[in-house]
Amino acid sequence: MPAAIGQELVALLPRLRRFALVLCRSQPLADDLVQGACERALANADSWSPGTKFDAWMFRILRNYWIDHLRRMRTEGMAEDLSQQTQLVGDPGEGPILSRLVLSEVQRAIDHLPQEQREVLLLVCAEDLSYRETAEILGVPIGTVMSRLARARKRLMELTAAA
Amino acid sequence: MSQLHLSDEILMAFADGELDGPTATAMAKAMAEDPLVAKRVVEFQQSRRLARSAFSAVSLPDVPPHLRAAVSAQIEAYEGGRKPSPAADVKPLKSGWFGRRSSFVPMALAASIAAVAIGLGYFAGSWERVGAGGLMARLESPMVHNALSRSAAGQDVELPFGRLRVISTYHLANGSLCREFRLQASREAAEAVACRRDEWKTTFAVAKVVNDGDYAPSGGDDLMATYLQSIGAGEVLVGEAEARALAEANR
Repeated sequence: MPAAIGQELVALLPRLRRFALVLCRSQPLADDLVQGACERALANADSWSPGTKFDAWMFRILRNYWIDHLRRMRTEGMAEDLSQQTQLVGDPGEGPILSRLVLSEVQRAIDHLPQEQREVLLLVCAEDLSYRETAEILGVPIGTVMSRLARARKRLMELTAAA
Repeated sequence: MSQLHLSDEILMAFADGELDGPTATAMAKAMAEDPLVAKRVVEFQQSRRLARSAFSAVSLPDVPPHLRAAVSAQIEAYEGGRKPSPAADVKPLKSGWFGRRSSFVPMALAASIAAVAIGLGYFAGSWERVGAGGLMARLESPMVHNALSRSAAGQDVELPFGRLRVISTYHLANGSLCREFRLQASREAAEAVACRRDEWKTTFAVAKVVNDGDYAPSGGDDLMATYLQSIGAGEVLVGEAEARALAEANR
């Protein structure tokens, strides 16, 4: 009998949704993605081994679901309702380091990164996954993760230094 | 030391605690010898924090009720009537310095800390030990937070995993209270800065090796100073001022 994953799934929803937003940049679509990925995960709960990282497993499912979606949709007319997601509230815990101004600069910079850089940035810097875990989720070599990540972070530093 | 090509990727991996023993040792040495290298590593630490803050600010807040309801319905359909497995069953995966911790310190600590190894006494084994759940992994423990909320600077607090001493206390321009502190066990030590708005959050940490039980300050102190300067730490709060700041923060 597969492990019950419902509880973990619910706890992970905000982070799944954030990843979905990084992938597709549209709130309605992100919600659909999350819902579809949850369904897929529940149907395949027996492929998750208790004792391994649930979030990494789930991110992989979500991303594969997105890739499938892209194949189906041929990505035409992807909406970019970014305005809705950039209502800043700030992260109080990190407040000491960042002024609101810098934060919005960084967000703008991230929005302008290529998607392949945005997703590694999220998985490593915000989700705290290791390079290896990230490589497994994305299905690319670890060296690719590192070069994308380094480029993204250099870019952020350049942009914020200039700000 | 064998030649180490100090590419951005290597420096970044070091800043992220992703390097394996020998390379990490070589990097630590390169960093101790060349302030420019140290600066580049610190920039990668900063970019990690920047990215993390930017992501935290955007879309984590609220899952729309309709999505939550839809997923709950799915769960009910698949798992209805079954007892959910306790969350404690979720264990971290094998590799990855940050990955190891993130299951029990979700989101909180990992991104803001990157261990920077400084000095020649720093060996592969210690790197791994630090990574494998040593002191660095304790920086966000409730006991540490508790000590940060209560102890005056200079006072030692014995915790099950080491001795904590607050070194100094600051207010930042935005009103946050930050404390530089040291957590020391028999053979390793961590120096860190934690800041508090609603709760304590470690924003910077440097791992160190302790020789023969003696704490030996090293080049990492410069890094700490640079860091404190970079966050705009004001005057050190002492005595009454410190006590007042703590009382306010605890309110």
